[in-house]
Amino acid sequence: MRLEFCWFCSSKIYPGHGIQFVRNDAKIFRFCRSKCHKNFKMKRNPRKVKWTKAYRRLHGKDMTKDSTFELERKRNRPERYDRNVMENTLKAIKKIDKIRHDRAADHIAQRWKPKAAKERREARKELEQSISLIKAPLAIQSQEPAITVPKIKVKAPKQQTVENQPMEE
Amino acid sequence: MATRLQFENNCEVGVFSKLTNAYCLVAIGGSESFYSIYEYELADVIPVVKTSIAGTRIIGRACAGNKNGLLVPHTTTDQELQHLRNSLPDSVVVQRIDERLNALGNHIACNDHVALAHTDLDRKTEELIADVLGVEVFRTTIAGNILVGTYCALSNRGGMVHPHTSIEELDELSTLLQVPLVAGTVNRGSDLIAAGMTVNDWTAFCGSDTTATELSVIENVFKLRKAQPSAIVDEMRKSLIDSYV
Repeated sequence: MRLEFCWFCSSKIYPGHGIQFVRNDAKIFRFCRSKCHKNFKMKRNPRKVKWTKAYRRLHGKDMTKDSTFELERKRNRPERYDRNVMENTLKAIKKIDKIRHDRAADHIAQRWKPKAAKERREARKELEQSISLIKAPLAIQSQEPAITVPKIKVKAPKQQTVENQPMEE
Repeated sequence: MATRLQFENNCEVGVFSKLTNAYCLVAIGGSESFYSIYEYELADVIPVVKTSIAGTRIIGRACAGNKNGLLVPHTTTDQELQHLRNSLPDSVVVQRIDERLNALGNHIACNDHVALAHTDLDRKTEELIADVLGVEVFRTTIAGNILVGTYCALSNRGGMVHPHTSIEELDELSTLLQVPLVAGTVNRGSDLIAAGMTVNDWTAFCGSDTTATELSVIENVFKLRKAQPSAIVDEMRKSLIDSYV
């Protein structure tokens, strides 16, 4: 039993799922569900279909270059079974999966990071430009200066302590 | 010594087994007597491994190998590959090949020094053959057939090819392979030589339909019969005596 990847969407195909299509040139296409199979029959290019991994990787939405990807590849020259190696490999697989998952999440968080600052900038600009949609310009002027009137600096009077003041008679 | 046997009443033993100088692969299923004949001949000398390839029993035609390595098709499952690697000695390199032409046993005929390959094999596959099996690879046809692996049975000491091979072609192949070749049949006139028999340097296994004549041809060309003193004298007599008075 081997967990293959769907040719269209690149998701894992578990046993009992999906369809395999063998073309006349002996190339095998595996699909995880009929959605992918039907898209293939419509001759759609997975690199242009937004929800596939191929699209996401091509357009930089998902992490592409990482050393963890090189560890999971199909090996054609097996090694003799060694229990210790097997044990260590199983532990390593878990760790590598977690690392890859975290790095992928980081990649997406990095993509979203400039969004907060951009939103704030755009909000401020909109406030300055389009405040007239909410309040009439005259109303703004007669109201608190907080909104449009520039700040005027008024010096506060020097506070005199009670002791220094001569007694008023 | 050549042995006659059957796999589940089928005489094509070259389909269900693969014999080399370093190991022997046998198909699973069928009766234990098939397996036990191989064990009887070979158990002390080389490992006899029961296996399947891609879940099938036609292992002799699916894989190609010699004492240096074994090539299996890409349809071989990971579990079968691991089983082969665990059962075979470390000197044998097990390699899975990504190749459109899957039945490597039909496309590659090899002994420990030289291999004949199907003309349409990938160049990458040819390099892998040369690398894993440690052989020199020649792309040829045999009697106009491109499936060289089926129509030629090869060992280090001799070879047998399709019965319709011309003498010129026989000579040509013989010089390429550096072994004596003979055009013969197996299993009562079947021209699928390598499907009907498996051979290594000291034994051969043929289908039970093989006639005594075919068997003697096989034993002569692959030099399986131990040299008897009388045989040597017989052969020498012809050269020693000019004419009978």
